[in-house]
Amino acid sequence: MTLPQAPLQNILDKHPHDESSLIMLLQDVQEAYRYLPPEILVEIAKTLNVPKAKVFGVATFYKAFSMEPRGETEIKVCCGTACHVRGSTLIMDEFKRTLGVEEGGTTEDGKFTLEAVNCVGTCAMAPVIVVKDVYHGHMTVNKLGKLLKSLNPKKAKTTGAKAS
Amino acid sequence: MQLSIDGKSVTAQTGEYILQVAQRNGIEIPALCHHPAVEPSGACRLCMVEITHADWGGWKGLVTACLYPVQEGLIVSTANEKVRKVRAGVLDLLLARCPESELIQNLSRQYGIEKTSFIPRPEPDLCILCGLCVRICEKIGASAISTIGRGIDKIVSVPYETEENYACIGCLACATICPTGEITFTQDEQTRSIWGRNFELVYCEDCGIAIGTPEQLKHYSERSGLDMSYFTKCDRCRNREAAARFARITF
Repeated sequence: MTLPQAPLQNILDKHPHDESSLIMLLQDVQEAYRYLPPEILVEIAKTLNVPKAKVFGVATFYKAFSMEPRGETEIKVCCGTACHVRGSTLIMDEFKRTLGVEEGGTTEDGKFTLEAVNCVGTCAMAPVIVVKDVYHGHMTVNKLGKLLKSLNPKKAKTTGAKAS
Repeated sequence: MQLSIDGKSVTAQTGEYILQVAQRNGIEIPALCHHPAVEPSGACRLCMVEITHADWGGWKGLVTACLYPVQEGLIVSTANEKVRKVRAGVLDLLLARCPESELIQNLSRQYGIEKTSFIPRPEPDLCILCGLCVRICEKIGASAISTIGRGIDKIVSVPYETEENYACIGCLACATICPTGEITFTQDEQTRSIWGRNFELVYCEDCGIAIGTPEQLKHYSERSGLDMSYFTKCDRCRNREAAARFARITF
């Protein structure tokens, strides 16, 4: 797969070329490409003069970075204590069923990535999900169906039909 | 400066760490992730000691000896009941992680642990994730390995495990420094293999023993500024040559 060169060049130009820029660069690459392509990590290592092993170590340490392409829409289901008590497992199961993916998985069409997170800091709204950085509180399976439909009407419809 | 370790008064320099001073004075503190060649990191938690001070109003604390800088009048206990208990706790966990490691087994036994009280790791290896290999690799200047991932999935590995990303020079420092023997290599007449890659070998011009890999010697030459011709003989032959040269000098 060939990757577009332009965004990488812009990202590299944005930050000073030393070790302290590493995480900021990786964040920008993650946002632009929705994952950290190996060839780009190698390029970053060369530009910042940081060993490849170190870049790889950092890239695999933080949950915010992914080595596999993530979906266009990231769905984070909070599974923290408060959300768990208020039924986040039901929400998670419903997402798994409608999207047909496991935790951490991406749908085949590359539209959604389903992620379990530990706390998003809004326990008063439990159970919470975060879709495209927008928080949805007091989630129910019913509300979730509507939300999915609004995000991707076709997908939600077909899976719904299959399930019935 | 003066401090007291197990009731013995010892002398130390500013900037030294407790472990260093203890070792110099023949006081044994167990440690797995410590090596004088690399900066201390406090990863294994085995060198825990108890410290206090006449000015601290009776306050006592448990610290890692490898990372705690000495200070005037510090009172260190390296083997009291509390210290032994906390070390036993550390070993209990290490034994759960590496139940097959002889080193961990022996150390545990010294602290009265025959069997871990935790559930031993299924399919265990010998890695305690002390990071010595990663630190020595960085020190040598290759930085070929790092810890990959986090939490229970953390391992020591080479990036991507693909050859074009290899910075390994085959120097075997990681295998040599590994306290538990997790990092292994093989070497026969022609080839040395480590981290899934085969290296050629360079032999001593005089006696013919293997002195390293071409990558390793090139790296040493670049780092030291010495010409590659310096790396054509083994240490022994080079020393013998030097000795012969000195023998000719008459006073």
